[in-house]
Amino acid sequence: MDYGQPLSFGATISPRNGARAAGDPLAPVVLAQRAERAGLDLVTVADHPYQPDFHETWTLLSWIAGSTDRIRIAPNVLNVPMRLPTVVARAAASLDLLSDGRLELGLGAGHYWEAMSAMGIKRLESAESVAALAEAIEILRDLWDTSKPGPLHFAGTYHRASGAERGPAPAHRIQIWIGAAGPRMLDLIGRVGDGWVLPGGTAGLARLADGNRRIDRAAVAAGRDPREIRRVLNLTGSFAPSSAVSSAVSSEMLSGPFALERFDGPPTQWVEQLVPLIVDGGISTVLLSGDDPAAIDVFAAEVVPAVREAVAVERAARGTTVRVVPPLRVRAARRDGIDYDGVPATLADDAVEPGDVRYGAVRSNYLRGGSPGLVLRPRTAEEIADAVTWARTQPVPLSVRSAGHGISGRSTNDGGIVIDVGHLRRIEVLDQASRRVRIEPGARWGEVAAALRPHGWALSSGDSGGVGVGGLATAGGVGFLGRAHGLTIDHVRAVELVLADGTAVRATEDENADLFWGMRGAGFALGIVTAFEFEVDQVGDVGFGQLTFDVSEDLPGFLVRWGAAVEASPRDTTSFLTMGPPRAGKTVAHTMNVVDSDDPDTVIERLQRLADIAPLAGQQALILPYDTLVSAPPRGGHQAAGEPVSRSGLLEHVTPEFAAAADRLLRSGTTYFFQIRALGGATTDVEPEATAFAHRSAQFSVVAMGASHDRIDPVWDAMRHHFSGLYLSFETDQRPERLLEAFPPATLARLRELKRRYDPDNVFRDNFPLASGVPDGAIGKATGRVS
Amino acid sequence: MTDYGHDLLFGSFITPTNQDIEGVLELTRVSEAAGLDLATFQDHPYQAAFLDTWTLLSYLASRTDRIRLAGNVINLPLRQPAVLARAVASLDLLSGGRIELGLGAGGFWDPIVAMGGERLSAGESVRALAEGIEIIRGIWDADNHTRLVVDGSFHRVDGAKRGPAPAHDVGIWLGALKPRMLRLIGRSADGWLPSLGYLKGLQQIAESNMIIDDAALAAGREPAAIRRLLNINGQLSAQPSDRLLVGPPRQWAEQLAALALEYGVSAFILAGDDRDTLALFGQEIAPATRELVAAER
Repeated sequence: MDYGQPLSFGATISPRNGARAAGDPLAPVVLAQRAERAGLDLVTVADHPYQPDFHETWTLLSWIAGSTDRIRIAPNVLNVPMRLPTVVARAAASLDLLSDGRLELGLGAGHYWEAMSAMGIKRLESAESVAALAEAIEILRDLWDTSKPGPLHFAGTYHRASGAERGPAPAHRIQIWIGAAGPRMLDLIGRVGDGWVLPGGTAGLARLADGNRRIDRAAVAAGRDPREIRRVLNLTGSFAPSSAVSSAVSSEMLSGPFALERFDGPPTQWVEQLVPLIVDGGISTVLLSGDDPAAIDVFAAEVVPAVREAVAVERAARGTTVRVVPPLRVRAARRDGIDYDGVPATLADDAVEPGDVRYGAVRSNYLRGGSPGLVLRPRTAEEIADAVTWARTQPVPLSVRSAGHGISGRSTNDGGIVIDVGHLRRIEVLDQASRRVRIEPGARWGEVAAALRPHGWALSSGDSGGVGVGGLATAGGVGFLGRAHGLTIDHVRAVELVLADGTAVRATEDENADLFWGMRGAGFALGIVTAFEFEVDQVGDVGFGQLTFDVSEDLPGFLVRWGAAVEASPRDTTSFLTMGPPRAGKTVAHTMNVVDSDDPDTVIERLQRLADIAPLAGQQALILPYDTLVSAPPRGGHQAAGEPVSRSGLLEHVTPEFAAAADRLLRSGTTYFFQIRALGGATTDVEPEATAFAHRSAQFSVVAMGASHDRIDPVWDAMRHHFSGLYLSFETDQRPERLLEAFPPATLARLRELKRRYDPDNVFRDNFPLASGVPDGAIGKATGRVS
Repeated sequence: MTDYGHDLLFGSFITPTNQDIEGVLELTRVSEAAGLDLATFQDHPYQAAFLDTWTLLSYLASRTDRIRLAGNVINLPLRQPAVLARAVASLDLLSGGRIELGLGAGGFWDPIVAMGGERLSAGESVRALAEGIEIIRGIWDADNHTRLVVDGSFHRVDGAKRGPAPAHDVGIWLGALKPRMLRLIGRSADGWLPSLGYLKGLQQIAESNMIIDDAALAAGREPAAIRRLLNINGQLSAQPSDRLLVGPPRQWAEQLAALALEYGVSAFILAGDDRDTLALFGQEIAPATRELVAAER
């Protein structure tokens, strides 16, 4: 019997504190680090809190997590009766978050009741202790599941919770392995466990075949697949050159109790003994006990690779499929059309699907509720290529996300796949003299600003530090320093990207120049960027003035004066105007004005021009570092529900006619957020044909957000003739004519040519559909709105 | 007005948010780099937005070298005292003696009960804490060969093995405001750890000190055996003010020195999660305060 689980190998370390023997309290840590260096996958630690020679295991595990980088950690097994399950849930999620998803949880029902009750723990009978553990496991999983509504109420016989807040969700789907010998515990594993930790040594092996049968029966009875459950062996032994007593395992022996002696003998003999335990006995995790550093090295260097190889050969010969079978509760939540079992191995570990504890934090984005069937979270450019190559074979929507902050909300979907590049977030200075900076797409602009500040540099992005680099720097970037320094895409000097067929390419003015052109304005349709190189600007502290005007008397007149004042301002000044509908007969306009100067007189002079246009209702002026204007909020995931509704237009000038139309829009009650951002200045220095963002003569970008397209569209559509184009990152309307407003005919033709060359199958179709393969009239129907 | 003569400690009071883990690690690194003596973390296991404080302390201890770490304060109602005792001893051994035990009787009973803890009245919670301290000290007392028995109303041990002893004399500092808790400090704790924001004024420090001192003397202890710590908030500004800890570093140093010399406070733990303020607190305010206090002493 082989459950086809991927193999893992580790060391089980005893938590000796050395206190009485004047030993080194850090000895177990040193062993864990040795196991990591040796290349083992996992280090586990026994837990006996009543034993004064041992460290308290949770403390030690947390310490080990802090002093290792890669190796997974697990208690083996945690004495649950000595702890409150609710607190264990928080502690486990915390350690998983701190260790970047490296925790698995071995749990036990308690064994040494004498010692435990001396510590003040209420003694339980065997059946009671199993029931108590079952309750504890339910609490753990429920408390981790932040996608469930409301707090946790649980009224068990042994444990209870009455309104405990859920969360935090761990960093990954923590496996719950259960240490078990008796039938009741084996049944519990079959019902709810992710793994069985066999009793140590030969006693455990003697129970292997019967135990497997018992677990499998219980699993099937619960509707589960026995392959969900990992079988974990703790073994001891030595690599004594001449083995005194040993016997290889034969398949006949598997029908009855295993009759293994200790693992004594040379590594080759260990291999011979282990392989049948895996391919016939169902073991998939092997842990070496004994605290012997030399043995850990030999095990890792000589036993593990040979066992892996022999098992791979044997599995291939028998046609055993090797894969992780997720728990039933996860499989039950899966969506149609996605071959979940086919997810590339490099991505499977960190992928999130609807039944996962992390799903609540990744399903939606900043403004749009989503229900994707799978979120892939690659960590490298190669993994992004793996993700694209696989995802394109799946007949479901495909979205790409950097930080999920986009106004148009394209970075999630319903039932499809999301490639979330948020793990790629390095920011690195390539050349000090030319201010060349390499930035990965999952970094957020607040982080970029903070990283550039010590150099006296900045890169204009937008008005929020929570926005991701990838989405904005492929579309445009209408930011606080726009008039002074141009659009964000104007600073891109190179992009490294993965194309629809998974190829990695680099594009610059000299290399793949056509692609480089398209990546600046329509990059979403051509590939997934894995890194940008920007030439950033020298920017010291900046002036920041907030001016609030009461414009109840004459809103159109105010807008015209503001527009004129902004256009007349030197290009060091960029102004954003934000308004809502009139409230209680009063209309207020709020402006945020950034002056790229740290000279107070200059800042005051610039602000004064803008302040003079109408009576001020409030004002504040500061000189501050640019990065404090766009600081990034914590990365906590987004919780939006519903669909964003946002309309965009690019405007040459604020004319009286436009101002009158804007006045009607605001009074119509169809928009709750109306904003005009200044363009102009440096954004107009770039020729229209130089990038795929062609609307270079626009002096303003206008956006209106509403509750529904049905309500805002008639009003907005009536304004369209004022606009020369639109900025697609702020546009949620998907009627085909929007495409031609985003891209003038010459630009669109060129983009379609690129699309035919680089993405002929229209893999990247989630955002504005360039859809070269379909006639113009059908453009836009390729993607439906998420309902 | 008493100065108990302790060396001065300066520390940070960092919010253990799980929404910005890198920020928590960074504030701890900043605390250590700024030369602060202590980094401390509140413990509210019912608060889902926080990291579990004990896990965090253990993780951070492995990633720092010099700074001392403490819960501020550990919630005893949701932690088993005998297991906590071993956890503290373990971490103190692992860290080479850098752990102190801030401890509290619990205050927010609805969420404690929501997590499965017992609801206790104020008086009961003080008695439970007293029993907990007896158990913790009993476990740490590794060289004592008598049977460890604490037959409390809330916590019991009966023959639990003693040991290990921590690497150093771990201070048990109690978060406390009311007389019953203050008397417990006088009887059996090593420190008093209130938050300035919860005090009705500096006069309350003086009054509380007297209660602690009387209880200590009644129990045959030296009042000076008990350190007085204080969680503080403040605001750095260029302009001096007549408000406590609102002003330039020099003003802070003078006010902290006065708190040390006149109110017996010998540890200042700064909240606010602001890295620049923490850096200045460690690099400028702490040495200036020490100098002023040393000169006066």
